[in-house]
Amino acid sequence: MIGRESRPALVLLVLLIAVMAALDPARLAPRGWGTQLGLAAPLLCTAAAVMPAMLGGGGGIDVSIGPLIGFVNAVLVGVLVAKLGIAAPAVLVPAALLLGAALGAVNGLLATVVRVQPIIATLGTYLVLSGLTLTILPAPVGGAPDWLRALAGGRALLPLAALVLGWAALRRTPFHGHLMATGSDARAAYSAGVPVAAVRFLSYVLGGAIAGLAALMMTALIGSADPNIGPTLTLVAISAAALGGVGLAGGQGGLLAALLGGADIFLLQSVLTGFNVSPFVLQIAYGLILVASVSLNAALRRSGRA
Amino acid sequence: MTRRILAAFAMAAGLHLLGTLLIDGYSAPFAVRALLVLASLLAVASFGQTLVVLLGGIDLSVPFLIGFGNVVAAQLYGQGMPFALVCAIVAVLAAGLGALNGLLSAGLAVHPLILTLGSGTAVEGAVLLWTKGFPAGSAPQFVADFVSIGGSVGGLPVPLLVPATAVLALLLMLLLARSPFGQRLYALGANPAAAPYALIRPVAMAMATYTISALFAAGAGVLLLGFTGSAYADVGQPYLFQSIAAVVIGGTALTGGEGGIAGTVAGALVLTEANTLLIGLGLPPASVEAALGAVILLLVSLYGRTPPLRASI
Repeated sequence: MIGRESRPALVLLVLLIAVMAALDPARLAPRGWGTQLGLAAPLLCTAAAVMPAMLGGGGGIDVSIGPLIGFVNAVLVGVLVAKLGIAAPAVLVPAALLLGAALGAVNGLLATVVRVQPIIATLGTYLVLSGLTLTILPAPVGGAPDWLRALAGGRALLPLAALVLGWAALRRTPFHGHLMATGSDARAAYSAGVPVAAVRFLSYVLGGAIAGLAALMMTALIGSADPNIGPTLTLVAISAAALGGVGLAGGQGGLLAALLGGADIFLLQSVLTGFNVSPFVLQIAYGLILVASVSLNAALRRSGRA
Repeated sequence: MTRRILAAFAMAAGLHLLGTLLIDGYSAPFAVRALLVLASLLAVASFGQTLVVLLGGIDLSVPFLIGFGNVVAAQLYGQGMPFALVCAIVAVLAAGLGALNGLLSAGLAVHPLILTLGSGTAVEGAVLLWTKGFPAGSAPQFVADFVSIGGSVGGLPVPLLVPATAVLALLLMLLLARSPFGQRLYALGANPAAAPYALIRPVAMAMATYTISALFAAGAGVLLLGFTGSAYADVGQPYLFQSIAAVVIGGTALTGGEGGIAGTVAGALVLTEANTLLIGLGLPPASVEAALGAVILLLVSLYGRTPPLRASI
């Protein structure tokens, strides 16, 4: 299930858990697992959301994922709950997933049909979405419904389990094979009859839908709508996915790799804040670990080939 | 290729005409001078990015190195260090990071997007840690004069920055067209697998190119210090998007080996015109951001499209 590209991330995870166990064993007590899971869930889902477009290769990346999550968060709480008074899970959950998928589809259209290079296309939608979010919601508002807030603790396991099961089901479909083939060698896949453009388009839609889930988990955690939360998520999400072994060249990694990278970043944050270090040190650590892990990955790949 | 550059210049002229028709005083001397200064700053920040993109890479450490140059220059000069020494220190440190970016991306075949994002993030963290988040200091007066919108040089009613940027662009065009470095850059970008057979050393080329990019970014940071008057680590953030957009709008392909500096000058003009026009229309900042994103998407989908996959088989 976990490829060799994810091994450095797995080693890092074990190290971080060991450091945590040595420093503050109380934090690892089973009693706190639920809380930790609730805190980690938005980050895990966000890392998973940037993964499908990266798997498709060809420079595929969705840097708009952060503002996309911020926009869905603003629409859910700022518009549906606060303005229209709709708070039923039967409406909000599908609304979040569909809105995410629709926005992902816009990115996918730009990248595959209009054929704008993905980083430019999604940097464009990054600006559009973060601008729109601030326009519909100039300041944070509270008022996430109670059922959603209840998902912030141990019950965060439910949506995460749904995500893992959904991905396991997807792996059994031809789409997954097509996506990995497209990412490994798009020209060969195209020559073998894989509908490369359609596959890549769907990868953005899928990433958007997962981002909708991430927006739900983020809303559950912060219990409000915050127009400034989105843009900060992109960097962390791409770092997490790359750290976990999802290769930007395509065809490498998967959901578990992205979740693993997300868990690494989450534990890194916990350990460093446990040390009471300044956020600037945390930022340096992010950058250095990202550089070290992708370099290590590349070096391992080389020695594996030689 | 030339068609795309001409199209970009025509787009800049068209936007300017539109601004003149819609907004009072859009073509007033002061407004045009401000426009040229802002476009020059963006062009300087994007020149290094252009070379990296020609190589087939991408440099996301540009905004962080702009902030680095900005804050480190202010801090050191504020502590009383001679400005020449300040510039030398900033240049050496920036060049070191650029060389590291090139070494790792080409030597280990790490994707430059992730790599430069990581190294840039670490550098910004280090700068913030050093200044404890509150950078102090400023630039010497002659740097402020060099970029001042009200400045003039000789008989021209623009600060020295504008003609200096034009000369810099010409020198870079000459470097790309006439020097072995330029030839190798295009060859490596067009076909990285074949270049070693032409005795081109990919790692040395990448190190040189990312170093140039880092130097331009840090230099833009120092210029911005003269422009805004005070240091700010996030001053480069808008340039992350705009430096890449300027390159792409100018017709340089992100796949490498195709395009050049003239296009980037046109791209910087287009972006500055679009930004000024949207602000001039009186939109609130959030709407300006959204509209700028939409305008860029529109421009790039008009003439920045990549060929379909079937064309490459």
